[in-house]
Amino acid sequence: MIPEPSFRHSLRVNDYLCQGCTTCMRSCPTGAIRIRGGKAIVSDNKCVDCGECMRVCPHKAIYIKQDDFGRLLNYKYRVCLVPTTFIGQFEEKYNTRAIYSCIMKLGFTHIYEIEHEMDRVVKLYNMYMDEHPEITTFISPYCPAVTRLIQVRFPSLVDNVIHVRAPLELASRVITKRLMDEGARRESIGVFYVTPCAAKIAATKFPVSGKETYVAGVINMDFLYNKVMLLLHDSDKSAQPINHALTSRDVLWPLSGGEASRFKGAHYAVDGVRNVLNFLERLEDEAVDAPGLVEMRMCDQGCVGGVLCQQNRFVARKRLEYRARLFERLERSKIREAPPAEDDILTPEMIDNMTIPEIKPRSIFKLNDNFAEAFKMAERMKKIEKALPGVNCSACGAPSCAALAEDIVRGDARMDTCIFINRHSQASEEAIRSIWGDRVRTKEINNDDNKNQ
Amino acid sequence: MHYTFQIERGNFTDAGQASSSVKRTLKQLGVAPANIKRTVVALFEAEINAVAHAYGGTIDVDIDGEKIVMVVADEGPGIPNLDLAMQEGWSTASPKVREMGYGAGMGLPNIKKNTDDLKIETEVGVGTTVTMTVYLV
Repeated sequence: MIPEPSFRHSLRVNDYLCQGCTTCMRSCPTGAIRIRGGKAIVSDNKCVDCGECMRVCPHKAIYIKQDDFGRLLNYKYRVCLVPTTFIGQFEEKYNTRAIYSCIMKLGFTHIYEIEHEMDRVVKLYNMYMDEHPEITTFISPYCPAVTRLIQVRFPSLVDNVIHVRAPLELASRVITKRLMDEGARRESIGVFYVTPCAAKIAATKFPVSGKETYVAGVINMDFLYNKVMLLLHDSDKSAQPINHALTSRDVLWPLSGGEASRFKGAHYAVDGVRNVLNFLERLEDEAVDAPGLVEMRMCDQGCVGGVLCQQNRFVARKRLEYRARLFERLERSKIREAPPAEDDILTPEMIDNMTIPEIKPRSIFKLNDNFAEAFKMAERMKKIEKALPGVNCSACGAPSCAALAEDIVRGDARMDTCIFINRHSQASEEAIRSIWGDRVRTKEINNDDNKNQ
Repeated sequence: MHYTFQIERGNFTDAGQASSSVKRTLKQLGVAPANIKRTVVALFEAEINAVAHAYGGTIDVDIDGEKIVMVVADEGPGIPNLDLAMQEGWSTASPKVREMGYGAGMGLPNIKKNTDDLKIETEVGVGTTVTMTVYLV
């Protein structure tokens, strides 16, 4: 399947439910949201699909577009690509086979666990790191929201990101090839990925690599969770994944630290939007000395904190750690065989397919392509910012006074959209003054700043 | 465009605000990432030098259509031997400063490496003024 070029983001606003309350706008790490016509609108260029807006929306007005589940029936071979994050949603008493049996009952013919590919993925990371001795700090490409955040906010760090595609791309390729070896036609194979977040959908539909994907569709994790829960009480344990058993380390991969801990050299695990922003900011200034591999996840606790996860992230973490300990015991007592060596062999085709040729910076800060023009705009923006009250009330429909200043110089807003500046009556002026005191500006505004629109 | 920042002795935790503000503006101007990096690294190093060695000072940044000029002026002990200070690994930083991960003797050499023009005026017992220029286009 060739990615649809028009599909850039998976997050959508339901205009009927949206109250324009500004909550999402204030939480967005890239300032991608504005309120227009009383509703939230999301900028295509700025959004990185991190899902923070959906997480904080008090009206459930933000949702993730998913593929029609009925599309499953277009394929003869229907593979469910499951991350262990999904298993972490369920109580420890449920055997993974029971959970997989429910998934099969929903219409899938095969189950494949993505983390099975992690030994190969770690090898691919190491290859990139060995090929680039000039880079001191490497950033894991695993969380697609982080990669996109770097593209738009930290363009100088794009080459620090390991140029390797997502493990799900490798897993879907491996399983597709395997079914084809067994006689299936490519068109008859539909690989569906169960996603814990918006970023992974966007990354599959609109990949940074620009390369072909073997993933036919994406299923939201909360949707599948609800379906499985209905069936779980009388599930048999007949189904098992077609990959070899996961190791205890594989189980932990989606958790914060689960990736970094597989590297021999220095490694760091950074999770949560604010921590990621702060770390990247300092890294860009070379104000933090972090040689080695930095695992970064936009969600607190890693993928179990994904916006589509039903279970509390700390509980899900504990459940996966429990399962990992169980696997470890099985491995130690040799009840479970070690996976065969060919499981982590990388073929030249795999390496080629998994490499991202270039991660392009696309700065959202640049005011104009023309330097002289950008300079004028930046100067004016600084002046406007000083004239604005600095309370970041968001009544203008922008997340902060600084954002409004930028909108004004870009011609997307006017100085008098600031309610501190545009007061229609003595009464409204007094009302605002009673709240904000001296921050209220006098009516003198520079006429130049009102010429837009 | 002009920016002024204050430097406070021994306040490593708040250092870096000047470079962050300057970085934001340079990103708005669409300056090439490599040039932004050079500027920010040099400015941060100079600020840390002043925080570690001086009693206080100011940072003045001027950006015009072609270059950025950063002046870090401090009141402090001055640099007794500038030639030595320009050598990599040479440092007079106190053990306390070194404990915080600074004072490896890379400050001035790193600034030199990252700027197009570097001028250091220093007088023992009075202070040091470091003037750094980076051409943006």
